[in-house]
Amino acid sequence: MSAETMEKTSYKVPIGPIHPALKEPVMFEFELDGERIQNADVYLGHVHRTIEWTGMRRNPIQILYLAERICGICSYCHPMSFALAVERIAGIEVPDRAEYLRVVHAELERICSHTLWAGVAAHEIGFDSVLFLTWQVREKALDLTEYLTGNRVTKAITMIGGVRRDITKEMVPKIEETVTFLKNHFEKLKKIFLDDKTFQMRSQGCGILSKKEALQLCAVGPTTRASGVKKDVRIDQPYFAFGELDFDYVTPDILTDEINGDVYDRIIVRLLEVKQSIDLIEQCVEQLTGMPEGDIVAEPKIAKLLNQLKKIEGEGIGRMEAPRGEVIHYVKMNKKEHPYSWKVRAPTYSNILPWIPMLKGEQIADIPIVAASTDPCMSCTNRVGIIKNGNKAILSNEELHRLSVEKTRRLMQ
Amino acid sequence: MTTSKKLLPDEIITSFKDEFSDKILDSRIEKHPIGPKKTDMIQLWFTLDRSIFKDAVKHLMKLDKKAHFSVSSGYDIEDRIEIIHHFSIYTGTKGDEISINFTVPLPKNDPTIDSISDLIPGALISEQEKQEMLGVKVKNIPKDTRVFISEDFPEDMYPWRKDEKNVDSMARNLHEPSSKNVSEEKKENADEKEEKQ
Amino acid sequence: MKFSMIPQVISQMVKKPFTNAFPSKYIPPSVTDFLKDVENGKATMIPPIKTPENFRGKIKYDTEKCIGCKLCIKVCPSGTIEFKPEDKKVRFYMSRCTFCSQCNDVCPVNCISMSDEFLMANTDKYAEELIVE
Repeated sequence: MSAETMEKTSYKVPIGPIHPALKEPVMFEFELDGERIQNADVYLGHVHRTIEWTGMRRNPIQILYLAERICGICSYCHPMSFALAVERIAGIEVPDRAEYLRVVHAELERICSHTLWAGVAAHEIGFDSVLFLTWQVREKALDLTEYLTGNRVTKAITMIGGVRRDITKEMVPKIEETVTFLKNHFEKLKKIFLDDKTFQMRSQGCGILSKKEALQLCAVGPTTRASGVKKDVRIDQPYFAFGELDFDYVTPDILTDEINGDVYDRIIVRLLEVKQSIDLIEQCVEQLTGMPEGDIVAEPKIAKLLNQLKKIEGEGIGRMEAPRGEVIHYVKMNKKEHPYSWKVRAPTYSNILPWIPMLKGEQIADIPIVAASTDPCMSCTNRVGIIKNGNKAILSNEELHRLSVEKTRRLMQ
Repeated sequence: MTTSKKLLPDEIITSFKDEFSDKILDSRIEKHPIGPKKTDMIQLWFTLDRSIFKDAVKHLMKLDKKAHFSVSSGYDIEDRIEIIHHFSIYTGTKGDEISINFTVPLPKNDPTIDSISDLIPGALISEQEKQEMLGVKVKNIPKDTRVFISEDFPEDMYPWRKDEKNVDSMARNLHEPSSKNVSEEKKENADEKEEKQ
Repeated sequence: MKFSMIPQVISQMVKKPFTNAFPSKYIPPSVTDFLKDVENGKATMIPPIKTPENFRGKIKYDTEKCIGCKLCIKVCPSGTIEFKPEDKKVRFYMSRCTFCSQCNDVCPVNCISMSDEFLMANTDKYAEELIVE
């Protein structure tokens, strides 16, 4: 070897748009130095479906079903936020029974979403049997959803001014049976995720987002609560019947007395939220059985409702806490059948920019678990392209997942 | 020095009016009753002149250093484009959050607005989106690329606009069910099956 | 080191599986033809789990009661329903339907209802079974 200095250059790795760890198409470009990430860049727009443009050409009832298909997991929050915005413009008052019913469905969706996420996180770390165990618990929650609304995922239970189906006395025993099942299995899941040494080794100290960065980048949802910021639309600006119920912000120091903002903290926050949701459903069902039978929607005749909505004018905002964060819809109506303007902001769009500080300094094998820990909601992918000194090599889905699993096996020895 | 006292909605409006006097074109408070107990949800709407927009955001961050920026929406109406930025302040305690919205009207022949990405880095994606969807030019934006629309989309067409620069000519109706289509497709399918056999 | 999972794994080796088996041994080329074969006795099927009541399945349309008011066409989000001007009735194209049951809610004479049929996969969008009139 001569005494000339060798120059070290970093090489750029584009990951995406189709990628293993994210169940959504997003394009990253990483600048690597060996196995450590030095810088990251994010590109979006691969599943742009012109939903807002389509919505401006339909009447409000049709927009409810269009909004439901923006996302499969937050398929309850988008039509509900739209309905909240339109109700605030039109001045429609929602009956009390409908407010409690809306809470039950929102919390049920939160349980389904967080258990799905827990299974995906376990799969990325390498424990496939935990994936199937978690999804078995989720099946019971989905069965309850099918019983209450008619379908497992696209619930179609929103109506402007209330809900479409009631919870009668005959349905209550099935709800109680499912809630008991979930409570019993929750303790088992908590022990597996939080007390297992491998999960701890793999996720502690990894993908850290500090409190200052979380505030500046306006992160939302469990991602920001795990960094210590107390932000939750259900408590800050209560909607539906959340103002009446008894619950508090979920931050990691409830369980471990310290806040690090890493992947382990995010697991803690999501599992504790599942417990909180089960508790909220119990409180609501108790209130519902105590209330007399009443209306579930402000205006039952839909033709009359459409005529009423044709005459309103103004602008309104609807905000809700989806499982992933804050959903906000802005609607402007001007006395026509179609809205003049409609803007949707799904929570992941605020959680994308925090990926950049989270991924700096991490290894390539940690990309799946860190990206999956923020629970992105865009769509699915499968390839990674690596450019190394001008030679291209393509890592497939299996390869990147294999890298992540191999790191786990190394840590276990 | 940041004030840690929480102001009431009227006091917030007075503090803005004192600071910016006549550049605030319009302001209103909306109170919506929520839930069975009918507690109030408060929203403040301001219409500002674009010259004081960035100073107004700085003044807002003085009221609450943890101000949260949600998204910015926009539309075009007659001869101007209106951009609305949605903020919220006083998060962290139960029931205290107030939504604040700044509407900034821009003339269509000169739609420029200041960037707030240096004060709030999380606003970057929203500003890029306004540039490509409505044709607004954001001054001093850190990253001037398209975010949701692909690079080969035509330059002068803006999807959200309702005037001559809109994209209705690019829309195709992929499927319309009608008896004519059904009988034609059935004939095609029957021919294909015969060929295969 | 999966100590916390070992009791669970052992207990699952002796329990009945949680999931229901696939209805037939191999995937049939057309689901609707397969169902016809099962009815005629030419093939056997493991039945799927029973759907709950008020399940939103295939549309059932009572032509007699329909008055031709076109309210269902106004609220349908996906353009499933087509009006037949000559006899003032409608036709449903199930390949476009999203099963939201909004037409069911809005109909003033209750001539539309949702059955519990959901096995409707077919390669032909305009097959006989997928048009309800």
